[in-house]
Amino acid sequence: MLRFLKKLINRTEPEATESPEELRIAFRVRYHHFRQLLKANNKTLEVMAEMDQALAGQIPFDMHFIRSRCTEVTTKVWQIVRHINELASGRYALLFERLKHIQKQIGPHVRHLDVAHSGAFVLPLEDVDVRRTGQVGSKLAHIGEIANRIQMATPDGFVVTAAGYQRFMAHNDLQTEIDRCVQATEVAHLDQLFALSSRLQQMIINAGMPPDLSQAITAQCRRLERPGRADLRLAVRSSALGEDILGASFAGQYRSELNVSPDNLLQAYREIIASKYGLSAMSYRLNRGIRDEDVAMCVGCLEMVDAVAGGVMYSRNPVDLSDHRIFINSVWGLPKPVVDGTLDPDLFILSRTPTPKVLDKHIPPKPCKFTCYAEEGVCRLDCNLVESSHASLIDEEAVELAHLAIHLEEYYGIPQDIEWAMDTAGLFVILQCRPLHLVDSEKGLDLAAEEPEFGQSLLRGGITASPGAAAGPVHRIRKEADTLLFSKGAVLVAEQALPRWATLLSRAAAVITEHGSDAGHLASVAREFQVSAVFALPGAMSKLSNGQTITVDADNRLLYEGRMETLLAGRKPKKNVMEVSPVFAALKAAAKHITPLNLLDPDAPEFRQKNCRTFHDITRYCHEKSVQEMFRFGRDHDFPERSSKQLRVQVPMKWWVLNLDDGFRQEVTGKYVDLDDIASTPMLALWHGIVALPWEGPPPVDGKGMMSVLFHATTNTSLLPGLRSRFTERNYFMISKNYCSLSSRLGFHFSSVETMVSDRPSENYITFQFKGGAADSHRKTRRVRLIGDMLEIYGFRVHIKEDVLSARMEGHDRKHMVNRLNILGFLTIHTRQLDMIMANPARVVYYREKLEKEITTLFNP
Amino acid sequence: MDGVRVLVVDDETDFLDMIVRRLKQRVLDVSGVTSGDAAVRVIREHPVDVVILDMRMPEMDGIETLQEIKKLSPMVEVIVLTGYANMESAMRVMEMGAFDYLMKPSDMDDLEYKIQDAYQEKRLNEKMLNSSQGNREKT
Repeated sequence: MLRFLKKLINRTEPEATESPEELRIAFRVRYHHFRQLLKANNKTLEVMAEMDQALAGQIPFDMHFIRSRCTEVTTKVWQIVRHINELASGRYALLFERLKHIQKQIGPHVRHLDVAHSGAFVLPLEDVDVRRTGQVGSKLAHIGEIANRIQMATPDGFVVTAAGYQRFMAHNDLQTEIDRCVQATEVAHLDQLFALSSRLQQMIINAGMPPDLSQAITAQCRRLERPGRADLRLAVRSSALGEDILGASFAGQYRSELNVSPDNLLQAYREIIASKYGLSAMSYRLNRGIRDEDVAMCVGCLEMVDAVAGGVMYSRNPVDLSDHRIFINSVWGLPKPVVDGTLDPDLFILSRTPTPKVLDKHIPPKPCKFTCYAEEGVCRLDCNLVESSHASLIDEEAVELAHLAIHLEEYYGIPQDIEWAMDTAGLFVILQCRPLHLVDSEKGLDLAAEEPEFGQSLLRGGITASPGAAAGPVHRIRKEADTLLFSKGAVLVAEQALPRWATLLSRAAAVITEHGSDAGHLASVAREFQVSAVFALPGAMSKLSNGQTITVDADNRLLYEGRMETLLAGRKPKKNVMEVSPVFAALKAAAKHITPLNLLDPDAPEFRQKNCRTFHDITRYCHEKSVQEMFRFGRDHDFPERSSKQLRVQVPMKWWVLNLDDGFRQEVTGKYVDLDDIASTPMLALWHGIVALPWEGPPPVDGKGMMSVLFHATTNTSLLPGLRSRFTERNYFMISKNYCSLSSRLGFHFSSVETMVSDRPSENYITFQFKGGAADSHRKTRRVRLIGDMLEIYGFRVHIKEDVLSARMEGHDRKHMVNRLNILGFLTIHTRQLDMIMANPARVVYYREKLEKEITTLFNP
Repeated sequence: MDGVRVLVVDDETDFLDMIVRRLKQRVLDVSGVTSGDAAVRVIREHPVDVVILDMRMPEMDGIETLQEIKKLSPMVEVIVLTGYANMESAMRVMEMGAFDYLMKPSDMDDLEYKIQDAYQEKRLNEKMLNSSQGNREKT
């Protein structure tokens, strides 16, 4: 049987009797496939590392990221399997089956889900309640619920449903075009996201309306235009599906258009749809891990309330769970400046008693208000003196509102965030109602006196929009373009608490504004992302300067110069809001079949094709086998040009070289090869490092070190050279012009380098593995750590598990790679027996400094 | 990389013009067509080495075009360059013998490397075929 198999295998191999020309071509072909395999292998590892980074929360990602990375990794693994089969005459065909099997497991997690929305394109509000959430979005479903089942006053109107949205998108084949644009963008780069956002919005705004949808919308307008009423004007608001996922607030992420005439409604409709791809909405979804396709934009068209006063009320204190009072923010005119954070509103705090009582109120000057133009649109007007200095509500009105808040909270069973308006007849109308996002302050919001231990505060006052404490350099934002320069970890300082600054919240350490309230959208999003925020802090813009490091104590509304470590210490780490999102779940589920490595030990009997359970397994398996195949082919063929040669050099160790393709300058026929004949860039680079300084021999060993070495050498036979396969017995170079792998087994240490260096920077890489050593594992680990630290200095990514070190570097140009190979060659030789001194920390420091100094002089990194 | 003949197939003319222009700057013999049909016609008349192929095209899509090209001229290497990344379609085209499956926008350097690698593979395959045929004739 065995002989039969051997025969079968040999049949597919080039026979020894083949002509030299044929053999030469066979070598070239194999090397070509080997090189292609290595490239695909390298790319696969890069993509897998990126997936791990994403899962570790180091880079933001969306579904598109997951789909493109999964596609790329599948393609590359396919190539790996194809190439190993090409170079081993189909002996690894089983891997195709494994690959297909694994790919089928990944598919369902990343597939584009097109949910078909059925039903009418539009629904009158009288037909809407929470049971229609899936058709009209939660915002409008709640307005319907309040109007029809709680029977509080709301504006009349209608909703363009998810089915209507789908009709609109399908009419223009917009989704296809959008996906194409998204694929071409690095969404993690804010400037690219900027350009993408404006392009997608333009596309939607300019898209044609399907006639049946236009007709349905127009018919609803006609229904509302009853005789005897003033001309119909509408507030057009988004009510996206998927807004209520996992308590995501989506506060202020989409556009609203106020006081729109029926003539312009279709345009306003498209503008609201377009705001799905507004910058803040896109970055919000990105940072919350919400899939684009889950967000169907329903649009509510409600009769405009010409408000005398309006605002937002909270049925509880959003930043203090123990505070049961009711908080009402109110301004003259429309509530718009409260949610936009552009004006400091009146604040009424009422007791939660059968008859609520006004316990406290704060009435700041209100220089302006928003009202409806007679024709269309809204405008900002200066308030007259009386309005400016007077409360926008009298106490009785505040009490009436508090009753509504209590009623709504009781109905829903959880605290509510309610937008309201008072119309010209003095009637309170509910405009929006949603669950209030509560966060508890860790330290309690007592208006603490400054703690003397922190010294004089820089600024104090304002309101806690989101609790906590944080520190960072100040970055003042005046206009949208400033956001592009905003760096991670900075403290955002702005004049107004505009919703569009929410784009920066995933990167900001804290937020400070001169105006705005805790009832605005920015405050909601700050609480959601657990970013400390102090709003309405006078003088923040003028007193803080860019780059100045400050500590923000949002709980106590105090700012300090510099970093106050005692204040920052002991804070709970932020929850990663991404981790519970659908996008995160999709990547996690997909990555389960991609990144884990089960086949760790090539010498284990389990190291077989059929045991490849992940893409990483296939990759690892093929890499190992391809190197073996290349080595075996070179060794087994009696082909003098390509048999392994001993390197003729004046160093104590023996080195063998196997030329895979174009690694020699000329044909070398004998048993030896001279260094001058070597054409391999990476091999020469390594060699240069290896021989840069004569090896001084092992450093003096302390008694314990020597004992440890002897003990381990006698108990662990795998440490003794010569007992493993021929391949690992000695120092072996496999080379071509741009490729080099070096496996060396020196004394008790095993190390391997694999590298590709050419004029294609994106394909260049170095991988380095190191393990073993004769001393006890404690010392081995320390030595491995020393090498790891050194490599990190020079830009390698280092991974250490027990006493095994793996390091990687990729993507640099030839010059840089050559320099790093010099250093690597140097380090592998000169750290070889250091573990004997590793018990002595002072000596470790001494050797480390010595090595660093030598590297600097020799290689000038 | 003199002598490699490249055909780009993409129904989006702006993209096609851009990529043809930029590849020409890299001294490649490049031409472009806007449909799978046209690609097949061109290949029938003038031999090419490497085809850069879009996936979503009206009438004859990328998959069909790939099939036709491989039927007509199995040695031609095909690199898919698509605006709509999709794992299943990647598997399919790789199985059908595509050299690679790239996503737009591809870095021009990387695209050029892929073209060179694909061309090298084609040349090696041809050499291998020739030498084994030569060998057979001798024996």
